[in-house]
Amino acid sequence: MHAFLLTLALLAGDGLTEKEFDTLHAELQPPADAPWRTIPWKISLLEAQAASAREGKPIFIWAMDGHPLGCT
Amino acid sequence: MLDRESTFADPKIIELLKTRFVPVAIDQAYQRRQQDAEGRFYQKIANQGPRKIGTGTTQGLYTAAGDGTFLGYTNNRGPDRTLKLMQEALAKHRPAKVAAIDPGKRDARFNPTPPEGGLVVRVTSKVLGGYPETDDPWRRMFQESIGRDNLWLRADETQALVKGEFPKSLLSRIARYHLVDNTRGEPPMWDDADVRLADSEVKDGKLRATVHLETKSGARAYRAEMLGFVEVKDGKVTRLDVVAKGEFRGEGPYTQRAPKGEFPFAVAFTLADGKDVADLVPPQGSRGWVAGYLR
Repeated sequence: MHAFLLTLALLAGDGLTEKEFDTLHAELQPPADAPWRTIPWKISLLEAQAASAREGKPIFIWAMDGHPLGCT
Repeated sequence: MLDRESTFADPKIIELLKTRFVPVAIDQAYQRRQQDAEGRFYQKIANQGPRKIGTGTTQGLYTAAGDGTFLGYTNNRGPDRTLKLMQEALAKHRPAKVAAIDPGKRDARFNPTPPEGGLVVRVTSKVLGGYPETDDPWRRMFQESIGRDNLWLRADETQALVKGEFPKSLLSRIARYHLVDNTRGEPPMWDDADVRLADSEVKDGKLRATVHLETKSGARAYRAEMLGFVEVKDGKVTRLDVVAKGEFRGEGPYTQRAPKGEFPFAVAFTLADGKDVADLVPPQGSRGWVAGYLR
């Protein structure tokens, strides 16, 4: 019963306005032209190995705890 | 995060990665455990460096030839050290004739794919205030950083959205695995018991939800209001935009230096269009147990 009343009380609160939504949603989008995003990252090491074999280039591995392109 | 905004924003490093290397980004927690061709290739490279397989994390920056010959490693990921690593690797590298490795049967546990008939949603997060002012550019990067992750939806949850419903399982997954402060590193997720309240309603395509998350000790907490918009066309979800905003408290072992006390924190959700390679990255919360994440 307490949880139910609490729920109603919170849902009856002001909440986010659509204007706040628009502002925050835009503010939280990572810039599409961020320099790191211009790098042609692969996420498969074997695809990188195949490209290395084909192109004769060394592989550069960014290996983290949590995915470097996601997670954090 | 720091690497994205510093090392991989350096013009010299970007140019070398684009022209002289094949760049690949991985969560090595997968590859160091994988029992398949990709895992074996990674393990071969890592074992030639200072961090051996089986002794914990092998994180860092590696350079290697296509046959797996080790060319260099550093876990000091500042631009100068990274550039040195790359230049030394190019000096050592002798391209050999080598075939592409046959992937063979993949280790399913470490090659998760989004649920068939489901959706991938981009998740971004930001601390909106509460940090002390600083002139330190490194600290400022942390303070202004945007955390990233992906949310996966099951097919039945997607169909529920089409019908104008917001499934409890989806709200629970969002609360436990995505309302986390991942702006400074790998965040702790919320346990089931930490979800004190998670309630939602959808009306005319507009989602409103309220969430209260708090650990037993009270050291970490997040109370947020959520507003979202769902649009459907020809039986398909064409828009799923959600924002959560509220007061966050606390930090995790790898997300230290959070603002003191409670601070404003927001998370945004946007349907992925598949154009960003990062759309293919599995959710952090699914690591090692996709079924648990998706339940």
